[in-house]
Amino acid sequence: MKKWKSYFLVLTLSVTAIFTGCSNQEVPSAAEGKQPAAEQKGPVEIDFWYAVGGHNGEVLEGLVKKFNESQDEVEVKASYQGDYYENHSKVLAAVAAGNQPDVTMVEIGVIAAFADAKVLADLGPYTEGDEEKYIPGLMKNSYWNDKLVAVPFNRSTPLLYLNRDMLEKAGLDPKGPKTWEELRQYSKALTKQEGGKTVSFGFSTPIDIWFYEALVFQSGGNILSEDGKSLAINSPEGKAPLEFWNAMIKEGIMKAPPGEKYNAWDVAKQDFINEQVGMIFTSTGDLKGLKDNAKFNVGAAFLPANKDFGVPTGGANLVMLAKSSEEEKKAAWKFMKWITETEQTIPWSLETGYMPVTQKAVESDEMKAADPNFRVALDQLQYAKPRPMVPGYKELQEVIMTEIQRNVLGQATPDEALSAAAEKAQKLLKK
Amino acid sequence: MKGGSSLNRLATSPLKIIERILLILVSLIFVFPFLWMMLTAFKTLPEVFRFPPTLLPEVWDFSNFLKAWESGPFLKYLLNSFIVAVGVLILQFLTAVPAAYAFARYRFPGRNLLFGITLIALMIPPQVIFLPIYVQMSGWGLVNTLWSLILPYGASAFGIFLLRQSFMQVPDEVIEAARLDQASEWKIIWKIMVPIAKPVLVTFGLFSFIYHWNDYFWPLIMTNSDTVRTLPIGISMLKASEGSQVWNVIMAGNMILVFPILIIFFFAQRHIIRAFIYQSK
Repeated sequence: MKKWKSYFLVLTLSVTAIFTGCSNQEVPSAAEGKQPAAEQKGPVEIDFWYAVGGHNGEVLEGLVKKFNESQDEVEVKASYQGDYYENHSKVLAAVAAGNQPDVTMVEIGVIAAFADAKVLADLGPYTEGDEEKYIPGLMKNSYWNDKLVAVPFNRSTPLLYLNRDMLEKAGLDPKGPKTWEELRQYSKALTKQEGGKTVSFGFSTPIDIWFYEALVFQSGGNILSEDGKSLAINSPEGKAPLEFWNAMIKEGIMKAPPGEKYNAWDVAKQDFINEQVGMIFTSTGDLKGLKDNAKFNVGAAFLPANKDFGVPTGGANLVMLAKSSEEEKKAAWKFMKWITETEQTIPWSLETGYMPVTQKAVESDEMKAADPNFRVALDQLQYAKPRPMVPGYKELQEVIMTEIQRNVLGQATPDEALSAAAEKAQKLLKK
Repeated sequence: MKGGSSLNRLATSPLKIIERILLILVSLIFVFPFLWMMLTAFKTLPEVFRFPPTLLPEVWDFSNFLKAWESGPFLKYLLNSFIVAVGVLILQFLTAVPAAYAFARYRFPGRNLLFGITLIALMIPPQVIFLPIYVQMSGWGLVNTLWSLILPYGASAFGIFLLRQSFMQVPDEVIEAARLDQASEWKIIWKIMVPIAKPVLVTFGLFSFIYHWNDYFWPLIMTNSDTVRTLPIGISMLKASEGSQVWNVIMAGNMILVFPILIIFFFAQRHIIRAFIYQSK
């Protein structure tokens, strides 16, 4: 009997805990809701869902706070929503339920899918030509059916990172290789063997869609055909990157890092820091982290050219949701404009390693005084090409990645891999 | 006496020794990632990146825990995690026990069909059904409250299934005897069936608790603000979206997440072992 009483007590206590726990949440929000009403004209509240964590997330929260304190017309409520892909799913669910945010981040390869689903607002009526301020190289994933639907924000681009000390010791130009052929020669000179075992490789890159896109662009090709209805990589330009990688791996001078998706990136970076590889491809976003953790002189260079230089850009753009009210949209643009202004994009860029988004920022003294490696990323933008802008690319990029990885792992020839990708693409692009 | 003789047998039989060694090896495989997480949480960042890696930290750096804890309102996250995991657990017990009893002990039209539907629910991952539930929760104004984390999990198909199996093993005579003594059905459930099924209940409770304690997807989807968010989201925020990861702080965060589960597991261990021995009969 006694035992039952104590069970009952625990049960009641826990139930009460839940009730008070849950209702506690509602009290402050109700109070918050009342406050602006008490004033004559309160600020317009807008929701901003973002998808950057860690240090970068803290920097972003700091900027939002600064915006809220700088004026009293708009109050931005920023909240973290996981990574890009989790945020994408959540935004789509919220749109279906009608409680979507007003501003959010969309990864640039997926903007077409969002715009095509009519989720994004046309920014044209709000910007009044303000979009002129952005760097043209960063605006290539911003338009859908000739309408401006996104502005650049946390943007990155791939770079070739160099262990300058290692290059100098091997008697190579510390500025790094300029062409594919030079990359091969450098890699060969940097590869070290001891007792028949390779102790350090010259070069390493994750076999990722981003770098594959870059190498296709460098070969003068494109991922999709002009009309966006078919895959264009089942061609000499699409095959060249695979043949290049395969040859270097076969020669024993390039390491394809093991691991799924971002794990492979982490392996490449780890190897670079530990001087087990001399050169890697990775994002501008890694500049700070690699410099902080490496015990040698870290350099950056353009991705080497085949026929020409060429890179995609990456990261996410800011978008406004079509379902927001007119008042919210005006407020949302105010925030989007402010946070991409030169005064904000400079500290954002310096703190996070993402690129500054305005042309004035590039010319500013602060950016000129910054790490010279950072200039490399900006200078390389003149060779930037857009990531494919079709709704189906969200899934198609996974298909291509799987196929090129199959080839690099020796499970398929370049021809087999690329025609398999082209075949699957037919279905995805018809949608 | 009995213990002594079995110890003797253990020492003399070479087969037993091999079995022991294999078991130790298998446990090491399972324990090592946890150990690695723990040790990484105490290392400095340069040591984390060093190659060849060190096993024990050269300098024991406790500040990683502080950094993780201070990166957000972790006390609030911890409290929310408890409320959600315990709340779900209570609701699931309240629904699973009577449901399992009915499935195990009553014959009624549509029983098999209903049980089949319950089993189907076992096979559907939350990612498939989150959209309609999100819309429903949103319609009730419950998105961004702890309710949206508790209510959708109020009934557990797994719990009903597990308890039904265990209730079915109770001999009919026990229940008939209770009925002869004028016990109500309600009393039979809570005073006879539940105590008999205690090891299974504890096991299920632990499964459910761990699942909801660790759940990342659902709270991320259903909540927007820190005041109603749970630990796994706080820890995922330690991960950088692009650029280099601060592994030692991330692992310290994971330690904070795992620690309460280890404590609960420690206390519930006896029941779990019993449940598995009974079930395997």
